[in-house]
Amino acid sequence: MADDEFRQQALQHLDALHNLAVYLTRNGSEAEDLVQETYVRAMRFSHRFQPGTHLRAWLFQILRNTFLTFYRLREREAAISEDGVPESEAPMFHDAASRDSESAGAHMDLERALTRLPEEFKTPLLLAEIEGLALEDVARIMDCPVGTVKSRIFRAKERLRGYLTDYK
Amino acid sequence: MANEHEGRDDDGGIGRLLRERLPRHRAPAGLRGAVTESLQPAPSRRPLWAFWLAPACASLATALAMLLWLAPSLPRAPAIDSAELVERAVLAEHARNIFWGQSRADVVPAALPRAIEESGVGLNWVFTGDDDIRLIDAKPTYLEGRRGIELTYQDVAGHTMTYIIVPGGTVALPERGRVQIDRWRPVVKKENGFSLIMWRQQGLLCVMASDLVSDKDLDRFKQYFVKVRSSTEPYVVY
Repeated sequence: MADDEFRQQALQHLDALHNLAVYLTRNGSEAEDLVQETYVRAMRFSHRFQPGTHLRAWLFQILRNTFLTFYRLREREAAISEDGVPESEAPMFHDAASRDSESAGAHMDLERALTRLPEEFKTPLLLAEIEGLALEDVARIMDCPVGTVKSRIFRAKERLRGYLTDYK
Repeated sequence: MANEHEGRDDDGGIGRLLRERLPRHRAPAGLRGAVTESLQPAPSRRPLWAFWLAPACASLATALAMLLWLAPSLPRAPAIDSAELVERAVLAEHARNIFWGQSRADVVPAALPRAIEESGVGLNWVFTGDDDIRLIDAKPTYLEGRRGIELTYQDVAGHTMTYIIVPGGTVALPERGRVQIDRWRPVVKKENGFSLIMWRQQGLLCVMASDLVSDKDLDRFKQYFVKVRSSTEPYVVY
């Protein structure tokens, strides 16, 4: 695949990559850094991409690996923020315009519930349910069998259901 | 895709809730621009040294050209030739003679052979004096890397003359300052309050120094030179 074509196609997935990065990092600037690093790496290793395979899944895989390499370690080190409030309890930013207070509350609850999920559950859930990737692609991204992906998604939903009792 | 999702919705609507209610975080315009820019093929970047190498070379070349242009007009340290070095050494020796020299006229007959032996400069004849001046000392000397003989004369007025003979080697006497005295044409100079008469004889460099500097005294000094020059015949022993 020519570089120009590769660039054009890769840029089409920018929003999806940024969305996952936000839910992984829970920080706007870090999400942007993560996405940029993902694209830099993708270009550097573009010769390894096999044309005909799923570019979107390949980019997600790079993003996740980059996150695990650089951001997750830092995330653990900074589990407690400066003001003493655990990061997982801090409200997430989002630029989506709130339609009404009920909708905004639903967003907040969903996001908070999602942040309480471990990455191993959160990522396959988002990739499968939000990004609509096939389980085989999710398994490739997560570097685990499809059965494990199914199990993690199921357990993720179970946990979310527990967190979101109001939505039953 | 819808079917795929429907197939997964055995979770009490959690999947549907996420798809419908979970906000999507679109990439900000700034990030899109930054990523687009970072994906552009890097232009052929000039290496860092290329930015300063050209100005540095130009500056160096300019400085070199200026130096070559200005070099002829730069003040130069005057080159000191070997004759001048000998002159200075003779004057220093003469000054020592004036201040600390001792009259040993009585021992000259005994001192002369020893001076000739140790100096490497022989004397077939030597002017020992007359009614006007007399030889008062003779000793070996060492002048600017040359061994030689030093004779000291004193006139009736008490003026001292130092006569030094050293191997001439490559020392060339300048044409400037040549003065005809009798049948010779030595160099006559005044230097630091002293008078100097220099000449070459038998391959030897001969210098007479005196404190006779006024015109009248210089004429007298020239007469002494004629007496000494005509009656002394030095040679190189080895």
